[in-house]
Amino acid sequence: MKTIQLTLVALTLLTASILWGPVHENTSAANPATSDGSISKASDPIDFENDLVPIFTKFGCNAGACHGAAAGRGEFNLSLFGGNPQADYKAIVRQFAGRRINLMHPEESLIILKPTAQIDHGGGYVLDEAGEGVHLIRTWILQGARYETLRHLAHVEVSPKKQVIANLEHSIQLRATAHFSDGTTEDVTRWTVFTPEDTSAVGINTVTAVARVHRPGRHIILARYLTEVVPIEFIVPLNEVLPQKTEPETKRKALIPKSTSLNHPKDLKIDGEILKLLSTLRLPVSAAADDATFLRRVTLDLTGRVPMPDAAIAFLADSDPNKRATLVDTLLQSDEFNAYWTLQLAKLLRIHSEGGNTQGAFVYHQWLSEQIRAGVGYDQIARSVILATGDSHEIGPANFYRTVDGAGEQAEFMSELFMGTRLRCANCHNHPLDKWTQDDYHGLAAIFAKIESGQIVKIKPSGEVIHPATREKAVPRIPGDRFLSNDVADGRVELVDWLTGSDNPYFATAIVNRLWKAMMGRGLVEPVDDFRATNPATHPELLTALADDFVAHGYDLRWTLRRIALSAAYARSADTIPENATDDRFYSHALQKPLAPEVLADAISDVLGVPDVYGDEPEGTRAISLFDPNTESEALDILGRCAREASCETSAEITGGLQRKLHLFNGELLNARIGVPDSRLDTLVSEGKSPMEIVNEFYLAALSRHPTDTEQEFWKQHINTTASANSQKAVLEDVVWSLLTCNEFVVTQ
Amino acid sequence: MNVVKRCDGISRRDFLRVGGLTALGLGLGDFFHLQRAFANNNTLTAKAKSCILIWLDGGPSHLETFDPKPDAPQEVRGPLKTIPTNVAGVHISECLEQIAGIMDKIAIIRSMTSPLGEHNLGTQYLMTGYKPTPALVYPTFGATVAHVRSQNRQNLSGDALTALPPNIAVPNFTGQVSGNGYLPSATRPFSVAGNSNKGDFKERNGGFKVRDLDFYKGIDVARLSRRRQFVNALNAFSSAKDAGVPTVSDPELERAYNLITSPEAKGAFSFSDESEDVLNRYGTGGVNGIGQSCLLARRLVERGVPFVTVNHTGWDTHNNIFQLKERYPTDRNAHLPSLDRALRALIQDLSERSLLDETLVVVMGEFGRTPKINSQGGRDHWPNVFSVALAGGGVQGGQIVGSSDALGEFPKERPVTPSDLAATLYTLLGIDPSLELHTSDGRPVRVAPDGANVISELIA
Repeated sequence: MKTIQLTLVALTLLTASILWGPVHENTSAANPATSDGSISKASDPIDFENDLVPIFTKFGCNAGACHGAAAGRGEFNLSLFGGNPQADYKAIVRQFAGRRINLMHPEESLIILKPTAQIDHGGGYVLDEAGEGVHLIRTWILQGARYETLRHLAHVEVSPKKQVIANLEHSIQLRATAHFSDGTTEDVTRWTVFTPEDTSAVGINTVTAVARVHRPGRHIILARYLTEVVPIEFIVPLNEVLPQKTEPETKRKALIPKSTSLNHPKDLKIDGEILKLLSTLRLPVSAAADDATFLRRVTLDLTGRVPMPDAAIAFLADSDPNKRATLVDTLLQSDEFNAYWTLQLAKLLRIHSEGGNTQGAFVYHQWLSEQIRAGVGYDQIARSVILATGDSHEIGPANFYRTVDGAGEQAEFMSELFMGTRLRCANCHNHPLDKWTQDDYHGLAAIFAKIESGQIVKIKPSGEVIHPATREKAVPRIPGDRFLSNDVADGRVELVDWLTGSDNPYFATAIVNRLWKAMMGRGLVEPVDDFRATNPATHPELLTALADDFVAHGYDLRWTLRRIALSAAYARSADTIPENATDDRFYSHALQKPLAPEVLADAISDVLGVPDVYGDEPEGTRAISLFDPNTESEALDILGRCAREASCETSAEITGGLQRKLHLFNGELLNARIGVPDSRLDTLVSEGKSPMEIVNEFYLAALSRHPTDTEQEFWKQHINTTASANSQKAVLEDVVWSLLTCNEFVVTQ
Repeated sequence: MNVVKRCDGISRRDFLRVGGLTALGLGLGDFFHLQRAFANNNTLTAKAKSCILIWLDGGPSHLETFDPKPDAPQEVRGPLKTIPTNVAGVHISECLEQIAGIMDKIAIIRSMTSPLGEHNLGTQYLMTGYKPTPALVYPTFGATVAHVRSQNRQNLSGDALTALPPNIAVPNFTGQVSGNGYLPSATRPFSVAGNSNKGDFKERNGGFKVRDLDFYKGIDVARLSRRRQFVNALNAFSSAKDAGVPTVSDPELERAYNLITSPEAKGAFSFSDESEDVLNRYGTGGVNGIGQSCLLARRLVERGVPFVTVNHTGWDTHNNIFQLKERYPTDRNAHLPSLDRALRALIQDLSERSLLDETLVVVMGEFGRTPKINSQGGRDHWPNVFSVALAGGGVQGGQIVGSSDALGEFPKERPVTPSDLAATLYTLLGIDPSLELHTSDGRPVRVAPDGANVISELIA
């Protein structure tokens, strides 16, 4: 068999998929990079690190599915993507009694015989006997198989970095240039692995490095050379033309076709950046949301509640041109905002009871709620939890150290929470798509190892973790920054100073991106806990500007939420037009956000006018105010809450599926409360309201709007006003049921 | 959620924390599933249409079931005796005397081996064929089969679709895995008993009371259908303004409605048309009613459900292994006799109804137990070697695959990994082990791992 499916070897690019057909080194094809004479001649000393390791990466030898696996393959272990060339050298030259190389007869070396499939090789045929890879390996062995390193890789430059492509099927030559420590550069295109994030959108010829884009949109390609991974961005407009004129004034009019909003404010930076990219993509925007939609959206986003019917009526009738800004300010200062954003941060901090012990969660939640109420800066919240010590049953933030088990997990938790990065890959090997190393992971864990996290959280000077690569005590380290002195008693002080320093690249960006997602439905970086150079933001300048602005305004959550709430991008309708219907990340229309289980449970209770009961909490307690996600509640079980033992951002439990639908039809959640005495429906009926008045009331309560003419017509047809009172009430119950289960109710439009 | 408490107290959540590296975010996931889940539709011709997985949750002892060691020292041999079967030379536990009489229909793999001796990890490995990794949560067999079957079904004309869900767990799915992994949530196992901690899964007169399947008091078909009409109308009104959303009714709501209103589907859960004799053959007692669960499983596959998991808990026998035989004198409903009755009845019943050839029955747990009895008279976790039993669905019965060493510690011949088992089960069910499905962000993943070998001698 003379082919290898590269799918076998390259799948471990974790977030990327590779669908290249059968590929192997092809010497006959034109190679754009060989013409410059950069092939080493036999006389040039071969540099193991810079000439040979790239071969192993290019042909997938050191990928996670092959010899790059932690346990290796076939007892031959290479470091993942060549992260540790010295270890690779040892594995090739010293291990297996040196049989992998044959200095007398280089062609007889296993390192050549195996990948060229001259003898049995589990990975099949990878290298052409006459190809440049084998030539380099053979020459290196002839020269004595020495570990020569004349220079170190400084960085890799790709071209193009970012390109707007006018026509599909237009081919683009990708190039990679390595810059070395000695100031030299080399075209390394042929040894660079180019991996599109979406192989159905971009195809890349592995031999010629020519890319073709098959689908409009924004596409990321990862270029990997040695340990460096660099993103390349292609943008292909989604429409042939954008119906617009060139002057800015008319352009804005064209972009906002039929503005129903009265003077909706806009944010110059936010809207400038969003419109800039939309214009590049030739994506037209949807109309602005009407007042009813805006009211419901912003009330849900800022307070986790559906607006009360009288608030809806008042807002719809208000003719003040600044009423939206006034509304946002009122909401931001409300108790409801405090309760809801305490819940949002409690989910981030994963506040939960442990083994039935609720005391810690109670004081933690209470402390957090005080911080939100007082408008304490997010940097101070982070400082408080990271530096916390003391009795976790009395001191809320001390529970930060009782949230996960062990120093390694604490390091992962901290980095996901406050840096928006996933350090966890670097536990077992250097992160394949990011700069994180095992030193970073175990160094950060070493800081947390000095914290004892019993009920009393305190410093434990003897705490340590073992670095799995060195088998020695890991040196405490601020990830990606610097080692701390080995005998520092409490590394957390230096850590938190670094983290909340105004020039920290992670801290403000991570939270601002989460705030953006809470409001807009999608992070500028997505997933929100996976920041890395190879996962670039859709709008990098905007993210940076928002983060800088957040820092400049005292890490004030309300400040940034307000800015977003008052942008034109936030206030767009969720209704799409044909030209932007496929857009799910450029904000040409608002994205629909499913209501969180707690919010939905409260909304159902509010509309029905009948409170639910949560565990032993006093009657009238709202689901969003529960301090413990384990509080007994059938409603929340059905609606699918997050137990906060793991991150709620990557939770698998999104929908309740069939069981939830069965329950909506036949279960207690709605049926047991829909028309009971003192419910909203019961009250309206006993007040003698007409069926259509009642329908209107429920539209206001559930959807914050009046029924449309079509809907009025529909309900008039289906509600027989001559039927018996009982039969009319049954129909009205079914109307209420459908309003509480329809798509418009269960999402923020 | 009703998670059965186990010795190590670890729940699925503890493991899930590592999942989700590949999330693209938002609702795009299901879109991609629809778009590409089935680019290549390669099914093999195979006998098995359905699969019943009898999951012995907690890790059944191989020494007390299908791989006894009568010649080993007392501390390994344990308190139970050994009996011959109707296949010459094959001996099994004395408590499986009914199964011994149909051994010619059953194949036993005695050389299963895995490195994972923790409940959660072992369950993931055995139920998905993949060793758990932080990068991706894999779907269980049931989810994969449901996914592939539903895809294939759309291409067949005139195939009457049952209103029943394609992947059903009786009474509940194990709490150790989500079930659907990277596949759409619709493939997740539907638990017949819902939250069974209310004890509502079994009716007195035989059959299962599925949560929320019966009308709420005061609600009837007419009202249910009116509600459905109203909500569909509301959804149509709101999507009319939106260019991107086609006006279709919510598929899961439709499925729920069809299930509630289909007498054929609903009828599966009531045993009123089963004779007293059948009920007794399966066994009406027993912990967690494994007999009645197996009877329901038969009724479900009869109606075309492709995958049913019978989850039988309580096999984590750290204490007094003898209790598997009887918990008190004259006990007939301990774990082993209940399993014996239920499995015998299921295989015979399927055979009498000519369903055995098209129904694959698999009996397994997440690992075996330590060969040496511990100080509490029980056995602890032992993944190094354990047994799996298979019948029907094209399995060549009456054979033993592989063997363990004299003390039941390690495989002696033909070690079989859970990955190999996965490739074999998929093959028996007509699914090519190399078939690629796609994660929500488009990563192709084989249904069984690369390098897994089909146990060809198992296939008749």
